[in-house]
Amino acid sequence: MAESDADLIKRAQAQDLDAFCALAERYARRIHLLASHYCQNTQDAEDLSQEVWLKAYQAVQTFRFDSSFYTWLRRITINTFLNHRRSNFFRWRGQSTVVQLLPIDLDDSGELVGSSSASPENIYNKLLFENVVNALAELTPSQRLAFLLRHYEGMSYDEIANAMNCSTGTAKKGVWRAIGKLRARLSPDSHEPEPLIDLASEY
Amino acid sequence: MHNCTETKERLIELVLDGRSAETSELNACAECRAEFDALNMTLRLTSRLNETAAPAESYWSGYHARLREKLATAPNPSHAEKQRRKEKLGPLFETMRLCVRTQVRVPLPLAIAVIIACLALGVFAVRRAETPVAQPPLLVQAPVQVPVVQEKVVTRVVYRDRRSSSRNSRRAINDDAQTESTFAKSRTSSTGEIPASLNGFKPADEIKLTVIKGGSPYEK
Repeated sequence: MAESDADLIKRAQAQDLDAFCALAERYARRIHLLASHYCQNTQDAEDLSQEVWLKAYQAVQTFRFDSSFYTWLRRITINTFLNHRRSNFFRWRGQSTVVQLLPIDLDDSGELVGSSSASPENIYNKLLFENVVNALAELTPSQRLAFLLRHYEGMSYDEIANAMNCSTGTAKKGVWRAIGKLRARLSPDSHEPEPLIDLASEY
Repeated sequence: MHNCTETKERLIELVLDGRSAETSELNACAECRAEFDALNMTLRLTSRLNETAAPAESYWSGYHARLREKLATAPNPSHAEKQRRKEKLGPLFETMRLCVRTQVRVPLPLAIAVIIACLALGVFAVRRAETPVAQPPLLVQAPVQVPVVQEKVVTRVVYRDRRSSSRNSRRAINDDAQTESTFAKSRTSSTGEIPASLNGFKPADEIKLTVIKGGSPYEK
């Protein structure tokens, strides 16, 4: 039977590394996903997400069970993102577009098929998601973070404002501007190849 | 009344909340409906990115191994807390340590002069601290009653018979002589002490008391 979060946290607070690693295995994917959306680079996403875990490990003694572990962890994640934004960490900064193609060549069992597969559908997929990644990369870091927290994490504007240390109006404006930019970049009336638009509409 | 601008502002929230666009407003306005569809498709595309951005399963074993390695080499949580405190107070301690360790060659006379000056300043400061600071007098205006010593004048009225003035004058001379002798006696006796008794004092028959009025402001 799987141990509860609370038990694992108590063990981690008693400096049990295995318990903390068990917690990391539960939440690593969500944190990594946020990081990969935020910094648009697989290597940066790994560095950033592992830094989040390192900070969480060093601060786990301060966790007081006032909120869920993921809420606490997400707060650390957002602070780490914001700090790295200030410290000019990400490799995409100063570049026009950096796209790390995502491993989308998976078969039904979830295994990698290999990048040599060049079926039309795979090519469209790559083009489509390259386009989405580029559209996200064109947002400012604040807009991107606000959008990710609203769209992927389902946070309210008040929660986003609290996490990003800004006003609710600023958070809302950031999300709306991000969606406006994404819509302009990805909508059918933008200048994109027709097959891509058709494929997108299938989803 | 349908307002496209207002509706479009609400569309983003409708799409973000995943609510279906079955409001009559959207069905009535083709432009708003198209905008809603476009926004919906945009967010669906980004959601699809969520599904495909996940690395392969094989990636995670390596990820956790690297993470465990980092955590194992990281300072303990308790040590990390101490380290964080130390980092906060670090600049202050570093400055103090620098002050203690700094060695500057100073000529001996100058050093002595500085020490004497410091001592003098210290003594001056201590003495000044010991001297009580004079408080400014507190002025209070209040009526004060001043007691006035009332003078009592005792007047002895002596009635004299005119016919026996000569005899009395002689008696007076005798009295004077007697007084003088008494005085002389007293003087002779006063070589030792002044007599404490009132021997020889004859009170008058009638005493007139005169009270001087007006000594006190409350006296009529």
